Amino acid sequence: METTPVKELTYNQAVAELDSILRTMQSDSCDIDKLAAYTRRASELLRECRSRLTATDEELKAILADLEK
Amino acid sequence: MTALAREYAEDHGSNPSAITVRELSRRITSLLSVPQTQNVWLTAELSDVRQSGGHCYMELIDKNEATGAIDARLRGIIWAGNYSRLNSRFAAYTGGQRLATGIKVMVKGSINYHASFGMSFVINDIDPSFTLGDIERRRIEILSRLRQEGILDLNKSLEWNVPTLRIAVISAAGAAGYGDFINQLYGNSSSLRFVARLFPAVMQGERTAASVIEALDAVNERIDDWDCVVIIRGGGATSDLVSFDNYDLAANVAQFPIPVIVGIGHERDVTVLDYIANMRVKTPTAAAEWLIANAERQLEELRRVAADMLRAVNDKLSGCKTQLAYIEGQLPVAPVAALDRMKARLRGASSSLIAATTGRIAPALARLDQVPASIQLALANTLGRRRDKLSAASTLLDALSPMATLRRGYTITRVNGKAVTSVDDIKPGDTIVTSIYNGVVQSCVTNIKPVKQ
Repeated sequence: METTPVKELTYNQAVAELDSILRTMQSDSCDIDKLAAYTRRASELLRECRSRLTATDEELKAILADLEK
Repeated sequence: MTALAREYAEDHGSNPSAITVRELSRRITSLLSVPQTQNVWLTAELSDVRQSGGHCYMELIDKNEATGAIDARLRGIIWAGNYSRLNSRFAAYTGGQRLATGIKVMVKGSINYHASFGMSFVINDIDPSFTLGDIERRRIEILSRLRQEGILDLNKSLEWNVPTLRIAVISAAGAAGYGDFINQLYGNSSSLRFVARLFPAVMQGERTAASVIEALDAVNERIDDWDCVVIIRGGGATSDLVSFDNYDLAANVAQFPIPVIVGIGHERDVTVLDYIANMRVKTPTAAAEWLIANAERQLEELRRVAADMLRAVNDKLSGCKTQLAYIEGQLPVAPVAALDRMKARLRGASSSLIAATTGRIAPALARLDQVPASIQLALANTLGRRRDKLSAASTLLDALSPMATLRRGYTITRVNGKAVTSVDDIKPGDTIVTSIYNGVVQSCVTNIKPVKQ
């Protein structure tokens, strides 16, 4: 399994990897020994994708404050 | 009086027919007040349109079709008493178009000559359908040119970046529409991480197209920083949409390397840009809503992947657990079951054996049972055939037997037990035995007389 740091992936690459992990997990050939590793990587990817889509409250406030200047 | 002036007065004398400017103006006015100049319908292009004190002033011009140079020019005025009525009717009919530089109009009015202001055309009616037709024709011309050049659908066929969060906004700085857009975008309930920057541009009047093109160029300088361009303007009933019906602007938007969203009109207002931009919305707020919905779809997609992932993990784990539980349940039962299976198999083997044996022996015995009868039958047949053959032989034998011949009078002569068939077989002195039908005579040979053959 490739282990490119999630920060270095584009959003599309991250989503594509998520999809491929999901397909692997849903297939019969999924190795139970790797399940934890898959899940960990997937949740890392998900967290990164989400954080690229959404800003935290503090960030939003900063942006809005910036706009009101 | 100078000498020169005196000389001039002497030459011409004092002319009593000289008139004042006012008088000449009055004459011009009366000369112009003929049916040919009053209440005539006129087509013209508008230029330098401006309002002042409720009145509307403009230049009515004719341009040379080929060169674009102005061939004829006439000052036009709509007095305040007519202006608000004509203007609102015109806007309503044309879908928000106002009287502005560049549009073509058909107006009704009269030539008026004023002593201090000169000649003007005072407009008392406008036919908006002429302008509408002209705007439409111009749009169609621009669109068909873009189509011929093969660029009409370029922007429309661009793929959207995923996610689309970095927005270059082209709008008038401080415009209400821009404020609406930004508030909507940053106030989204999903905390979507939008980044918007304003690229200010003039959004009405003659400078519009060039100014928007400049803003597009500025965006293009750092095109990798942006996912899309939004061109917005606060609507308003008197929007100057003709400024956007511009070939250069349309060609720029059509060929822009990232998707363009336009939100420059309302409901019925349509410009060339609406046909060529990747996305057309009615208002700045609608543009923001569209972008938010678009990004929320991405969030939704992530949620779906997360849910599927969770389900896949649970399925996998519960599948393994079920399998383990099954195996566990089987453990105490399995040896017994295995024994039972062995026994059953043995039973099966023995019954198969029996079946196989009886199956084979019985037919063999049956076949054996038939053998004696067959033998008897064969024997009987053979014996019968032999008997028949014997009886036939004895009949033949009877017929051929020497006894029958003997009985007819023939005899057999033997010497030393051998039948004599020639006189050469015997010599005098031999004892011959003669067999007759009913006895044997022994004789001694005394004489032999051969018979000539």
